[in-house]
Amino acid sequence: MSEFHDDYPSYEHMAHHSEEEGKKARRTLWNVFWIMLAITIFELVIGSMAPGHGWSGTLWLKVLFIGLTLAKAAAIVLWFMHLGHEVKFFKYVILIPYVIFMSYTIFIILDEGIYSGEPQNRTKVDPILIQQQLDLKAHHGHHEAAATEGHGEEGHAAEHGEEAHH
Amino acid sequence: MSHSTEIDSKHAWDGGQSPFRVSYGKMMMWFFLVSDALTFGGLLVSYGFIRHKYVDVWPKAENVFTHFPFVEQHLPLAYVGLMTFILIMSSVTMVLAVEAGHRNDKKKVIVWMFWTIVGGATFVGSQAWEWYHFIVGTETGALRHVWSQELGTYVEQTVYGANMVVNEYGVPQFANYFFFITGFHGFHVFSGVVINFIIFLNVLKGTYEKRGHYEMVEKVGLYWHFVDLVWVFVFTFFYLL
Repeated sequence: MSEFHDDYPSYEHMAHHSEEEGKKARRTLWNVFWIMLAITIFELVIGSMAPGHGWSGTLWLKVLFIGLTLAKAAAIVLWFMHLGHEVKFFKYVILIPYVIFMSYTIFIILDEGIYSGEPQNRTKVDPILIQQQLDLKAHHGHHEAAATEGHGEEGHAAEHGEEAHH
Repeated sequence: MSHSTEIDSKHAWDGGQSPFRVSYGKMMMWFFLVSDALTFGGLLVSYGFIRHKYVDVWPKAENVFTHFPFVEQHLPLAYVGLMTFILIMSSVTMVLAVEAGHRNDKKKVIVWMFWTIVGGATFVGSQAWEWYHFIVGTETGALRHVWSQELGTYVEQTVYGANMVVNEYGVPQFANYFFFITGFHGFHVFSGVVINFIIFLNVLKGTYEKRGHYEMVEKVGLYWHFVDLVWVFVFTFFYLL
């Protein structure tokens, strides 16, 4: 082990594959693409339906979107970037430090975010801004009222009053 | 690619081979991407924090990004959906170029790299278009309290569009983060297109054919997929949530 090695195997050439294997690899890649496209279209459809159904900002919607995002990210990393084909050592060297650092940062913002989101710790903003967002919400409420024949109006009006109270 | 999993773990660290079964260049590209991913992770986490601090006045993406080229109607999020499609598509063409490289198929590498570059350039152009509409704003604008140097106080004034100081759609912080994060990502896409183009020229010249392998295509492919990966997160946190 003391001698110096400069006759490393050529990893560049090891990645080569045959016509047959190539066909199989391409089929997998296209399948991954179709799945990712389906997820993206699904996200956009749900996203555009959300304001009308009062789903915006609900916990399940956030969890759904973040979950789908992580699924897409995993697809990119494992198949497009071939991390799924690398040896176990290498996978862990790439993933573990990142996951540890990001979990820590996310923990920090959740912790500090809860503190700074408390009413007494909130930063004061231009009152015009608050009015604008309330108007937008009300405007959206009317839109929906027209679309669903006055079904959603009461709910929105109640929400409006509640917000103004704060 | 089953060869890469064949490793004798008892002797993996004895020298004479890479315990990771990857070449030096590819490993360094991965390490760079991890550090870059930490930068983006930090930016998005800080975005999340500020967003929750101004949760009542944070603009909704569907009220901001409503334009679509050559269409008068308001189509919220349609254009960004198209941009996402273009970027995912260019990621597929890139991985197909890498696959062709593994078979030493020069013609196919050229074709797929060409489409990757076209996709990347289209994405950067789309982002410029999106920025333009965000900066110019709507015709009606919105009222804001703006600091007046002469009067030494805040005065009501109609503002149009968004910049680093005012934002007609909501809090200025939204514009700050939008410009910074999508700008940083857009610059990554731009550099990706440039690097892709350089590698594309090398493929055309036959540099990698002479070398016997197309690993440079694979390395630049890793970077390109990373750019797509970041966009998946930016798309979710800026436009969907």
